[in-house]
Amino acid sequence: MSEQRKGSFLVDTLVFTKRSIITIIRNPLIFIPNLIISLFFLFVYEGGLSGISELPAFEGANYLAFILPVSIVSAAIGGAGGAGQALVKDLENGYFSRLLLTPSSRLAIVLGPIIAGMLQLLIQTVLILVVAYFLGLEVAAGFGGVIVVLLLTLGWGLAFAGYSVGVALRTKNAQSAQAGTFVFFPLIFLSTTFVPYELIEAGWLKVAATINPTTYLFEAMRSVFIDGWEAWPLVRGFLVIALLCAITISFSAISASKAVSAD
Amino acid sequence: MDGSISVHELVKTYKGDVKAVQGVSFEVGEGEFFAFLGPNGAGKSTTVQILTTLVKPTTGTIRIGGVDVGKEPERVRWNIGVALQETGIDPVLTGRELIEMQARLFGFSKKEAKTRADELLTLVDLNDAADRPCGKYSGGMRRRLDLALTLVHKPKILFLDEPTTGLDPSNRQAIWKEIKRLNREEGTTIFLTTQYLEEADQLADRISIINQGKIVASGSAEELKRTLGFDAIQLVFELDEEAERASQILTGLGENIERSKDEVTLYTENGTQLLSELVRKLDENNLSPKTLNVKPPSLDDVFINVTNEQKERA
Ligand SMILES: Nc1ncnc2c1ncn2[C@@H]1O[C@H](COP(=O)(O)OP(=O)(O)O)[C@@H](O)[C@H]1O
Ligand SMILES: [Mg+2]
Repeated sequence: MSEQRKGSFLVDTLVFTKRSIITIIRNPLIFIPNLIISLFFLFVYEGGLSGISELPAFEGANYLAFILPVSIVSAAIGGAGGAGQALVKDLENGYFSRLLLTPSSRLAIVLGPIIAGMLQLLIQTVLILVVAYFLGLEVAAGFGGVIVVLLLTLGWGLAFAGYSVGVALRTKNAQSAQAGTFVFFPLIFLSTTFVPYELIEAGWLKVAATINPTTYLFEAMRSVFIDGWEAWPLVRGFLVIALLCAITISFSAISASKAVSAD
Repeated sequence: MDGSISVHELVKTYKGDVKAVQGVSFEVGEGEFFAFLGPNGAGKSTTVQILTTLVKPTTGTIRIGGVDVGKEPERVRWNIGVALQETGIDPVLTGRELIEMQARLFGFSKKEAKTRADELLTLVDLNDAADRPCGKYSGGMRRRLDLALTLVHKPKILFLDEPTTGLDPSNRQAIWKEIKRLNREEGTTIFLTTQYLEEADQLADRISIINQGKIVASGSAEELKRTLGFDAIQLVFELDEEAERASQILTGLGENIERSKDEVTLYTENGTQLLSELVRKLDENNLSPKTLNVKPPSLDDVFINVTNEQKERA
């Protein structure tokens, strides 16, 4: 009788996604600290540094709008990194093997935690935006701009999720997977994190900010918050993210196919 | 797809030239209960992982229900149930959630999955703990849940890798009872690995003894005992020193001699013939055993003998 049953990629993906969401909800310690740190960023930098936005290089922009992308992007790292962490846990407690023994889609096994991570990230970002709204945020590009920011965040999250899943499946070990996420912190800080490009003094930091993809993400978000609809920063932002996603998702796909057919 | 297993010249060499399996071949018929008996590191788990699509063999062909595992792994997965040596359980989910999820992945509708979970929770006696996270389960409860997960889709062939190792007697009995029922009443083919001779003897129709990646003997428990062809003369002494002395005096009398503490076991082709000489020798040396038994070989004896022979050849 078992042979009459049929598998379905859609059902598998839904089942795995639902399970990952349950896991996230039952372990609030996975996402709450991360969210708090991001909000903390927002309050501290807005409160402590907002004076510098009087400088002419800011062209009258509100510092809140300037620093908000940093808060959003760092929260996204935590959210997306959870996908890799979840897979490492499965590998460690043997559940991953049990899943591989089912006829379910191999892709769905990896996709479930990624989708759940994206949903978590979306909710976090909305929360941060709401807090920013109460702190006085005005979005120059209006509601459409908010959607653009959410899309940029999702793209960035997806790129990072691909990376974290790839590292997890390769190392199969929680510590290494965790260590892998630290790569992304320099990416946040070696950029136009606190001041615009023109105000960066150190030559090496200027170079770092130029080659750092995060810079283009920050610039794209800032453009919709501060300047309204401007094509070039958005095109550049989305292109950089598309490129990053292509690289990390291929990396995770290759790692996944190695991990599911051990030899 | 039927319930047969056919393995031909299976070889698995891990990185670093670890020869885990070195040319193993065997056939298991539909509805048969087959046991792989062997010590730690013999290559049992590696074989199970290869047969169940988890690990690729270095060379060799495997057919499960007539389907080539290397070519159509997914078709094989629909028809087998596998309980690996390490249980595979997500500690965050409850027992019921895990079973329902497993059922959904095997194509059950939500409603069917619920019904199946109820049946299985009753079967493995986990109704009371069904809605608690499995991270809180005891070792025995985990094993039983793992077995339930293995049975969700009513597989034709079951692979059980040391399903009772480390369990207390009552949990072991419960697992034995259930797998016996599956084999006898539902006609499920079973491939079981174990380190316990007693387990293989009690459950299996046919046994292969595996050691260092090779099958060293095969047959029913009875056949294995018969092919060995030895009787075991067992002598128990008052003192360990007496046993030690006796084992020295009697060396050379039989084929093989073993001593542990106050006990000496002598293997010989014909126990009764040898008995008078044995008693005379003991008498000459003023040794009198507390008890003396002549018995046909147990599976334990077979195991000791084949693994010893292999050591001698190596
Ligand atoms: N993934 C692996 N990589 C390298 N060596 C392994 C691996 N798995 C098992 N082995 C080795 O292969 C041999 C057989 O192991 P295994 O199949 O687990 O035996 P058993 O289950 O009978 O105890 C052992 O020497 C073991 O150390
Ligand atoms: Mg083993």
